[in-house]
Amino acid sequence: MSAGAIDGRGGRAAPAHRFGRDLPPWLLGIVMNVPTLIVLALVLAYPIYYAGYLSLHRVSLVQLRTGVFPFVGLDNYEKVLTDPLFLLSLGNTMIFTAFVVAVEVVAAVAIAILINQQDIWTSRITRFLILLPYAVPPIANGLIWAFIYNGKTGFLNRLLYSVGAIDGPIDWTANPDTALFAVAIPYIWRTLPFAVLLAHAALQGISKELYEAASVDGAGAWHRFRHITLPLLMPVIVVLLVLRTSFAVAVFDEILAITQGGPGDATWVASWYSYRKGFAPPFDIGAGAASAFILALIVAALALVYVKLLYRRVD
Amino acid sequence: MSELSRYAAGLSRRRLLQGSAGLGLSGLGGMPAMAQGAPWAAVPRGKVDKLNFVVWTYGDIYTKIAAKFREDWGVPVESTISAFNDHPPKLMSMFAGGDAIDVSQSSPYSFWNFVSQGLVEPVSDMPGAAEYVADMTDMMKTVAVHNGKLMGMPYFSTTWVWNYFEPLLEKAKFEPFKTYDELLEQSRKAKRDKISEYPIFWVAGIGLEQLPGTWLQMTHNKGGVFFDKAGNHQLGPGSIARETLKWWVQTFTEGLADPESLKQQFVGSAKAFSGGTNLYRGPNHHYTLQVANDPTQSPNAGKIKVMDSPGDGRTIGTAHVYFVTTANRNKEWAWKLLQYLGGKTKDGQYSQAINLARDAMLGSGYNSVMNSEAISKGWAPYGDVPKILEIWKKTTFVGEVCNSMYKPWHFPWSDRLNIEVQNALTGQISADVCCDRLIAAIRQVQRG
Repeated sequence: MSAGAIDGRGGRAAPAHRFGRDLPPWLLGIVMNVPTLIVLALVLAYPIYYAGYLSLHRVSLVQLRTGVFPFVGLDNYEKVLTDPLFLLSLGNTMIFTAFVVAVEVVAAVAIAILINQQDIWTSRITRFLILLPYAVPPIANGLIWAFIYNGKTGFLNRLLYSVGAIDGPIDWTANPDTALFAVAIPYIWRTLPFAVLLAHAALQGISKELYEAASVDGAGAWHRFRHITLPLLMPVIVVLLVLRTSFAVAVFDEILAITQGGPGDATWVASWYSYRKGFAPPFDIGAGAASAFILALIVAALALVYVKLLYRRVD
Repeated sequence: MSELSRYAAGLSRRRLLQGSAGLGLSGLGGMPAMAQGAPWAAVPRGKVDKLNFVVWTYGDIYTKIAAKFREDWGVPVESTISAFNDHPPKLMSMFAGGDAIDVSQSSPYSFWNFVSQGLVEPVSDMPGAAEYVADMTDMMKTVAVHNGKLMGMPYFSTTWVWNYFEPLLEKAKFEPFKTYDELLEQSRKAKRDKISEYPIFWVAGIGLEQLPGTWLQMTHNKGGVFFDKAGNHQLGPGSIARETLKWWVQTFTEGLADPESLKQQFVGSAKAFSGGTNLYRGPNHHYTLQVANDPTQSPNAGKIKVMDSPGDGRTIGTAHVYFVTTANRNKEWAWKLLQYLGGKTKDGQYSQAINLARDAMLGSGYNSVMNSEAISKGWAPYGDVPKILEIWKKTTFVGEVCNSMYKPWHFPWSDRLNIEVQNALTGQISADVCCDRLIAAIRQVQRG
């Protein structure tokens, strides 16, 4: 029967060769995924492969222009791993990431629970307002906070001084003890909405009947959170941990806009190190790529740890 | 053989003729088409649809010069303009990506690196080159002439000077300090008397010549260098550089230095200083007086004065250049555009250099401009011109004090210098540890 023919009951028959109808499920799955795979291969896999390739070669301006990259084996990795500045940058990155991810996950769940209260009308306004920072470009965010932090004229000092929290102005980004956290706050401010969105979406998927049943059994708010909300949020929390960790490890824009690694080495993080290696004279792109690869491996290892530890608990 | 004598030896008779053609001393015979008439007014050979330059931002000077070039030659000029710190990566990625780049610019700190990486096209053989070199200041020649070849043309020159805020000095009844000890004494008294919470504002922000320049200038002023002529570091125990750093750290330890100093580069520090809360601003580029004394930018315009450095007043200076890149579309046209930025326009004037002097208080790399009214009248609204020119005479090129800048490893070492010195200034490490780490870092960065 040809496509579009009338069947015996007078209705229009389904097209005999409609796309997918004749394909076995496994093949259909492959076909449907091919476009995505092609895009991912082009925009993700190839650059990753190319960066890996560069990390094994001597690459600077001359080589990039000529296209001839001498093979140097693992020299770039050795160079990076024996550089005290890289190790220090990694340490700063880990401190930054631990702080940012911990704050974001806790804050995201807390805020999501608050804005999920259907009976409180202000939660609808909050739901909208909480998204605003996500629309601020990272560099603009950094510059805004640089003004806020300014030791002499910054709004933060004025606010803290007016409520008696400080005796005199503090230069938050020029002090090595506070600089890394001073960069972390703007980063959290900008990226928290994403985490809130995910947590809020997951909360909306939890059946109200569970809470009603728990209430009937006499469970208080804390017990409902501890035994219903938290376990059911755990898959999303794992996703949040993986995503927020991988993004926080790669923090760059706020560093560039606010401290440029300073004071001293207080805010040198791994991505700043890779950038300086690759994009400041003498443009050692091979070493820059190697440092970025090491960072990627660390993120992958952390993601595995999260999944192993937390998914098991969910099961 | 010096750079200059190598340059002179490298000039062929033909090039000299080409240069003299610009002066109208020779006829047209034997000259290429480009040299018919004055070299800056001659039409280059070949055709180009457009030209471009890749530069760092400075007001609207590039918009103006691009429009002027199009008006004079009918060729549109595209500009790629980045912030100063973003310029090297921008230029590098365009060059590596195979883009055409006719003209770009460089600080002296990047320039040798660009030359060694094959980014810079020599222009010694271009018409008028010899005449330009003959008019360049010694400091500019040191940067622009490389292994006997003219590689760049002047963007600007500057010298490091001290500034003071006159109303606070009058209030404290101080005369501008003559020695570093006097600076400390005055600062302590000003702080004690609550005239200024932080009497000294240093230029100690991270950068190629901001924080490093402050240390270099004071080291040079006290008679020291970072590296001797053989390239051996001079940062060991008892060295002038190390002792200078110890003294500098002391200003932070005693709370005499403004912590904001650690974040500010030249222009930012000028704006902060023009707030009028500090007595002195540490050695820095002279032209930032234009910011501090501009009524549209400063609440205390006219009250920020220039002063000599202590002792014999010796100081450092630097020169930045424009250059034709090896990725140019057409060398003669690129040379033409280069002259609009770093030489003469069609009318035979150093238009860009004169405008930069008048509008931005920048020094020129040409003696004829430095001796002209562009300087004597152009700088006058912003500072004491005779005083600055007197300081200019005591200026040594920064590369003489820190000759690592001629090496490919200077950039990564400079990164370490910024880090370790800020660590020392913020009390994380001592000045001794800082210098020891910098000595160790030399070996590390030399490995590549």
